[in-house]
Amino acid sequence: MTKILVVADIKQGVLKGSTSELLSKAKALGAETAVVAVGSNIESLTADLANAGSDTQYIADDASLELFSAGPFTSCVVDAAKQFEANLIWFGFSETGKAVAPRVAAQLKAACATEITDITIDGDNVEVTRPTTANKLIQRIKVNASQLVAVVRAGAFEATEGITGAENAVKLSIPETDLKAIIKEIIAEAGDDIDLADANIVVSVGRGAKDQAGIDLVKELATDLEAGFGSSRALIDAGLMPHAKQVGQTGKIVAPTLYFAIGISGAIQHLAGMNGSKVIVAVNKDSEAPIFNVADYGIVGDLFEVVPILREEIKKIKG
Amino acid sequence: MKILTTVKKVVDVELNIRVNDGAIVEDGLQYVINAWDENGVETAVQLKENNSAETTLVSIGGDDNADMIKKCYAMGIENGILIDDPALANADSSVFAKVLQKVYEKGEYDLIITGKQAQDTDNGQAGIMLAEYLNIPCVSNVVAIEVMDDSHVKVSRLGDAGTEIVELELPAVVTVSDSINEPRLPAMRGIMMAKKKKIETMDLSALGTSIDDLGGADLQSEVVEYMQPEARKSGQKFEGDAAEITAEVVGLLSNEAKVL
Ligand SMILES: Cc1cc2nc3c(=O)[nH]c(=O)nc-3n(C[C@H](O)[C@H](O)[C@H](O)COP(=O)(O)OP(=O)(O)OC[C@H]3O[C@@H](n4cnc5c(N)ncnc54)[C@H](O)[C@@H]3O)c2cc1C
Ligand SMILES: Nc1ncnc2c1ncn2[C@@H]1O[C@H](COP(=O)(O)O)[C@@H](O)[C@H]1O
Repeated sequence: MTKILVVADIKQGVLKGSTSELLSKAKALGAETAVVAVGSNIESLTADLANAGSDTQYIADDASLELFSAGPFTSCVVDAAKQFEANLIWFGFSETGKAVAPRVAAQLKAACATEITDITIDGDNVEVTRPTTANKLIQRIKVNASQLVAVVRAGAFEATEGITGAENAVKLSIPETDLKAIIKEIIAEAGDDIDLADANIVVSVGRGAKDQAGIDLVKELATDLEAGFGSSRALIDAGLMPHAKQVGQTGKIVAPTLYFAIGISGAIQHLAGMNGSKVIVAVNKDSEAPIFNVADYGIVGDLFEVVPILREEIKKIKG
Repeated sequence: MKILTTVKKVVDVELNIRVNDGAIVEDGLQYVINAWDENGVETAVQLKENNSAETTLVSIGGDDNADMIKKCYAMGIENGILIDDPALANADSSVFAKVLQKVYEKGEYDLIITGKQAQDTDNGQAGIMLAEYLNIPCVSNVVAIEVMDDSHVKVSRLGDAGTEIVELELPAVVTVSDSINEPRLPAMRGIMMAKKKKIETMDLSALGTSIDDLGGADLQSEVVEYMQPEARKSGQKFEGDAAEITAEVVGLLSNEAKVL
């Protein structure tokens, strides 16, 4: 039977949705499932990890693992993969996944695929699908190796209701600290904001907002909708928005139910991060802006005029 | 300090890319330096200017990579190595990483700079795998770098919890984000000088290896087909009185799309 090991996505002590999405897919494929969790003070998450759909939980819990360090994280995943004899090792889409997956693959001499959107298993025949070349192409890839390490793209799989697992925790030994790459500190940005990766609605702002006043205006729309607040790169380059807010190929990849692109032209690198959204609304004063090619609802107009009306109309509906 | 920076020539993604029968249609494609590798070149040149380093680039590709390499010379890179071997036509990130490993071992560099990903593959693997094969430390998605002393650099990385500040012992690999800098436009003087500079070209046997050695004859995975992504179904565009069209769209979001 296929054995799938999912790497738990834990942020600030909370298990993220991608973990149950991946485990749901693994169960749907009829696989035996396990999860590996790495961090500090995470033992209490064992029940959550089981409920997310895992039958075994490999846990590396130690104060030394509090700040992300790719080397020790890799060792934990490799250790769990060996103990479980995993055929497939899946990461949810995150910077951690992107940094660790190629290392795990190199150590296990496994195949490696990032940003996969689908996987099929037919006996020994494993194939994955992924976007490539700035999302201009889709590749179908045949896996020849006996193991595959994959990073699953945001929004690829859905969590199934009522999925179950079993509590069966296995403690991993704690790897040595990497003395050649010492994490000094992590400077967190805008901590209490809604996490873009989890948000059901995302409102993103672009250069069209011009300055802080324009950004604040668009942010109010996000606040009204309890939406994640994102940005194109242009405002980040201008120092007006923090790095963590960037949506796009080098920023976050999001796939919410509803995405608002306000004053964003729609460069391919931005589209690559959001064109998997279910419904896209664009506000742009240039009727030829490429964002309108992907928008389900395009409003041609000045955002300074349109955004306040949007807020009013949405308030009317939501009561 | 000796710096090795890697550059790949990739298809220009700003232009149309077509697929026929599962394969990319070559006709009409243009090739450019991978955007993130250009950031890597700029990083290397800035380190040279501020800390007296020796800069070498390596590219794996055909002899048509020469113009790209000359462009990097014009930006300030001093030495260029081209690994040109037809056996590498189907190479994946792991095989490229093993070629880079051989190049590293010939030159003994202190710092290797790669792009965070190649735009044609969007894999983001080769640099990180290279570090694993060499068993040296690596930080990916780097947005700032500073030399501390002869054997240490301090880097900032955009991670999931925020900006991570890491002290790296050399030799090490960093993979750079486009946020790290704005690549310079080469000056005329640099362009003139670049014309005269040589490119050290090698095939795999000159590098002391073979495609079997590199795992390239027996790939861990292979692309069997390319497809064109499904275009999003064309939407509706509203022009005219802002109050009217905005109210209309909000109504549709609620009643038609049912997302509000
Ligand atoms: C390697 C690489 C990686 C990249 N990664 C990313 C990434 O991850 N994410 C990303 O976003 N970009 C990325 N970029 C940058 C990308 O190419 C674009 O430069 C960027 O997305 C443009 O941001 P923008 O749409 O806000 O600005 P612009 O392209 O300047 O567009 C501003 C838009 O606002 C409209 N506008 C102006 N005033 C108003 C108004 N009053 N009301 C309404 N509309 C108005 C204009 O018509 C215009 O369409 C990357 C680029 C490279 C080379
Ligand atoms: N053929 C190549 N020649 C030179 N560098 C390469 C090559 N392939 C990959 N690289 C480097 O490795 C990085 C990651 O590539 P990839 O794993 O394909 O995303 C790129 O940004 C390059 O710096």
